[in-house]
Amino acid sequence: MADLRIKIGKMLWKNPVTVASGTFGLEFAELFDLSKLGAIVTKTITLLPKPGNEPPRLAETEAGLLNSIGLQNPGLENFIKNDLPEYQKFDTNIIVSISGSSITEFSKVIKNLDKQPNIDGYEINISCPNVENEGIAFGIDKGIVYNLISHLRKITERTIIVKLTPNVTSIEEIAKAAEKGGADVLSLINTVYGMAIDIETRKSKTKNVIAGYSGIGIKPIAIQNVFRVAKVVKIPIIGMGGIRNISDALEFIIAGSSAIAVGTQNFVNPFATLDIIQGLEKYLNEQKIHYHDLIGSVR
Amino acid sequence: MPYKLLPIFKKELINNKYFIITFSDYEMADQCHPGQFFRLKNPQQNFPILPRPFSVNNIQDKQTSFLIKIVGESTKNLFETKIGENISLHGPLGNGFKIARNKKVLIVSGGIGYAPFPFLLKKLEKAKDEIVFFHGGKSSDDIFSANVINFTEDGSVGKKGLVTDGVEQFLQKNQVDIVYACGPQIMLKKLTEICKQFNVDLQVSLETIMACGIGVCCGCAIRIVENGKMVYKKVCKDGPVFDGYTVVWDE
Repeated sequence: MADLRIKIGKMLWKNPVTVASGTFGLEFAELFDLSKLGAIVTKTITLLPKPGNEPPRLAETEAGLLNSIGLQNPGLENFIKNDLPEYQKFDTNIIVSISGSSITEFSKVIKNLDKQPNIDGYEINISCPNVENEGIAFGIDKGIVYNLISHLRKITERTIIVKLTPNVTSIEEIAKAAEKGGADVLSLINTVYGMAIDIETRKSKTKNVIAGYSGIGIKPIAIQNVFRVAKVVKIPIIGMGGIRNISDALEFIIAGSSAIAVGTQNFVNPFATLDIIQGLEKYLNEQKIHYHDLIGSVR
Repeated sequence: MPYKLLPIFKKELINNKYFIITFSDYEMADQCHPGQFFRLKNPQQNFPILPRPFSVNNIQDKQTSFLIKIVGESTKNLFETKIGENISLHGPLGNGFKIARNKKVLIVSGGIGYAPFPFLLKKLEKAKDEIVFFHGGKSSDDIFSANVINFTEDGSVGKKGLVTDGVEQFLQKNQVDIVYACGPQIMLKKLTEICKQFNVDLQVSLETIMACGIGVCCGCAIRIVENGKMVYKKVCKDGPVFDGYTVVWDE
């Protein structure tokens, strides 16, 4: 049997398969044993509860999904009280996704979560396109990224994953700034700016007008971003963006991802992650290659 | 809520706009409550990506059926999928209607909003309710049963006019305890005003675009007034059935 174990930052994953923040939750435990995943990434948590954006928040397009959820979440306190104990029951790495509107806010959230056991890492969401002055406002400036990450690095020993947006001129510069700031891992990509219009009403199909685009349509964009970033950083990359099945996942791994995350496809086939884990074993056995040798092996 | 691949057991064309698709699965049929829904998709169809939500139309002889209106690629594909071919079914999902007992009940549906009511009707009959059923459509194409009081906008079947006008007239002369409704937003909004006027309870089943169906993605949010405050609720998990009085209807 192929060995799928991999070190991601300070964590050891039993396999390189996880989920994209915002597309997965405890509700999936009714469908399969979440302990089978290499890691679980929670929905993004903020210091205070966020009601989310005005509906409509979704629009499906020809080859993907537009969303403007607006990081709706119950806030740190409720998350610690209600959700975290449930996540902690699973025998896998628990990664809490975090966003905020200031360095102080990010710091407060991490300081509080650091007191909780059985959290294995933080994904710093500096790339959500759906909240103003938050998230993406950090993710598009390399100086701000460096300041934020180097500050958070002093606060926590746990694995810091920085989630990057493709909506920048040079993702390499942002990636290098995060690495220099002390990030252990990078995850990319977050959603791509997108928009769809109802030609009858001539209004945007999402209330927030500009939304985040995900699904199969963004796969080539994501793969080239992974490929470019992998060339300029030494830390591992969790690749994501339109992954539906094993062949999509393999493309990301060959492009330079040490692990992969399934997002939108969780809504289509909730077992996609499990299918990929199985498919990966089969592929490695057939190709007689070690997983580590596959990563970034693009010729 | 299970996620199953099941072969289409039966398919019944009603007219060029509507069809009924039926699956035979004991476990599934036993779990369903009226007003709940399933997410259906032909796994062979790549696009559109998302499964589409459909409420349970009826359960008969352990068979679960869905009444579907052909509106786009997904519903067209479901219609074209042959008997014996597999469809993925995720459900039952959502809360469903609260069943009133020994009450005077009025069901009001518009167009494809008829879908959840044959199943509800059965449960209400068992609960010894006194039931009147009003249904409205644009034309005879939108009429599903001769056993209900039908309204059409073009007058081709039943009474000519809007179903909501019929409801208003009915409530002026008859006492009703609860109204169950499903249909276009504009109909439900009008119905809410009418029910308030006559002080009748109202349960509405809502439809929105939906991604996960289980409360994860928060994509299907609608505005609800709770304790005097506007909050977002998820149609998939908090609904699809809501107290009509609490819904903030679109302008």
